This record gives sequence, C-alpha cells and structure tokens, in this order.
Amino acid sequence: MVKIVLTPDWFLSADVFIDFFSFFVVVIFSLLAIKNYKISKNKRFLYVGVGFLLISIAQLASLITKLILYYDIGPSEQIGQAIIASNIVNSVDVFYYAGFFFHRFLTLAGLFLIYRLPRKQKMLEDYFLIFYFILISALLSKEFYYIYHITSFVLISLIIRNYYEIYSKNRFYNTKILILAFSILALSQLIFIFSVIDILFVVGGLVELVSYLIFLFLILKILDHGKEKNKNRHNIRYVGNNSRKKSRN
Amino acid sequence: MLAIIQERNQGIKPTHLMYKANLSHNQMKLYLEKLIASGLIEKNETSKGTRIFITKKGREFLLNYIRMKNFEKTFGL
Repeated sequence: MVKIVLTPDWFLSADVFIDFFSFFVVVIFSLLAIKNYKISKNKRFLYVGVGFLLISIAQLASLITKLILYYDIGPSEQIGQAIIASNIVNSVDVFYYAGFFFHRFLTLAGLFLIYRLPRKQKMLEDYFLIFYFILISALLSKEFYYIYHITSFVLISLIIRNYYEIYSKNRFYNTKILILAFSILALSQLIFIFSVIDILFVVGGLVELVSYLIFLFLILKILDHGKEKNKNRHNIRYVGNNSRKKSRN
Repeated sequence: MLAIIQERNQGIKPTHLMYKANLSHNQMKLYLEKLIASGLIEKNETSKGTRIFITKKGREFLLNYIRMKNFEKTFGL
C-alpha cells in the first residue's frame, strides 16, 4: 500500500492534536479580525480575517482527512463510507489526496493573502506568485510533498519581511511576537521539507505547535490589553499613539 | 473622550472633560450628544452639579475599541 502521510504511527494522535490546536488558534484569529471589521468597517481587517479563515478551513480539511485516515472507527468511519458511497470520490485514496490537496492549496492561498495585505499596489511579483500557485496546484502530489513546504516557507519568509518593516516603524511589542511566531512557523516548514525522516517529522510538528502556542499567547495579549491598567492610564492613547517610543525620550 | 470619562468612577464635569479632551465647547457639545444618543455615556445631575458617566455599553465599546486598535497596530493595518 502506498504511504499517504509521513506521520510515524506512534505520533498519529499528537499529529491530530497539533492540527486541532492550530485550527482552534487560527479560527480565533479569523473571528477576531472579522469582529474588528464589523466595528471599524476597515476592509484590511476583513482581508486578514479571510486569510486566516482560509488557513483554518485548510486545517479543518487536514484534520477531517487524518481522522478518517488514522481512525477507522465510529463517526469517522461512517463519514468516510458515506463519502465513498455517495460517489463523491470513487476510491478512499482519492478522498485522502483531495483532503490534503485542499489543505495545501487553502493554506498557501491564506498565506498569500496575509503576505499581500500590507502592499497597496499590485506588482509583478504578485502575478509571479499567482502563477506559481497554479503550478504548485498542478504539481502537488505525494511525490512532490516537499514543494508545499518550500512554498510555505517562502511565503512565510515574505510575511516575516513585511512585519519586520512594520515593526521597524511602530516598535510595537505585539508585532515582535507576531514575527517570532511566524519565524518559528517558517522553521517548522523548513524541517518538514525533510520529513521523510520520521524524527524530523515529529520535530517539525512540535516546532509548529510552539509557533501556534505563541500565536495563542498573542491573541490573549491582544484581548487582555483592553483590561490592562497600563502605566499611562489612558489605554486607548497607549495603543493608538506610539507611547512606548515616546516614553523613552 | 470615553477613555477620559471611564477614568472617573465618580463622573466628570463637562468643563473638566472639555479641557482634558482638548476640545472647544461646540465640539464637545456635538460629541456628547452623539455619545448620549448611542447610549455610551449618560449625563446625571448630582449634588455637585452635572456629571458625565460612562454606561455599561460604553465600557464594552471602549474595551472592544482598544482591542481593535491593538490588533490594528500589531498587524500594521
């Protein structure tokens, strides 16, 4: 039988947990961005929200596929049989490949949207990247699993560069945390490139989990900030104006 | 304005608010009307004269607004 996933057998449950946790974190980010859009009507919030939403759907696709693939029991078995019985797909393997394809495609699309967000003008590199997506979509298969991780790594590196530019202007601690989280996520993708080696798959998964833990910490920090009694007392001014920078002067 | 009003649990005098928010009388009057109409603040007569208080809805709005600004700044939106 062809091996569909590279996860070592003893790491299956942990792998599903990591997917579930990352799905949970990304959904919160998406909901937070969309809620902010409703308050401010600033479309840039909406784009961030949609970017994270695409990634969350991608994580969900991966999660469902893995649940059906790993655990042929209970509801997951029934879902799997129902899908095959309804002739949506004519073989189990095709279903698995379709699930993972959507995971990869939507993750890359979401990352692209987050990368593209701070740039107001359309540039040649955009067209290059869109073309690259189509190419990747065509090429992605079990033989070329690493192309997905290379592309993710490239996109996340571009996102890091964007946020570094933003950080160099605003010097906001949360942006630093965001850069850290994306940097660790990029590292996980780099490790996943070599995930044919069992231990590297496990290390990649754990590094990815750390990055999502930092994302969760950032969410909590953003949510908690409203309640925080900061030194300047005027929370709203503290956030709106660059008071960290001013306080040093 | 909401942030300044929220700081004062005992309410704030309109004149103090005007100075603290660095607004003209007309500007403040206009903003107060809008905030009262939105249910974010309320004007009460106390033994010490007219005081402006933030409402529960106002506190919630301010909290969400601070979170939004924080998110906005984090992502450089």
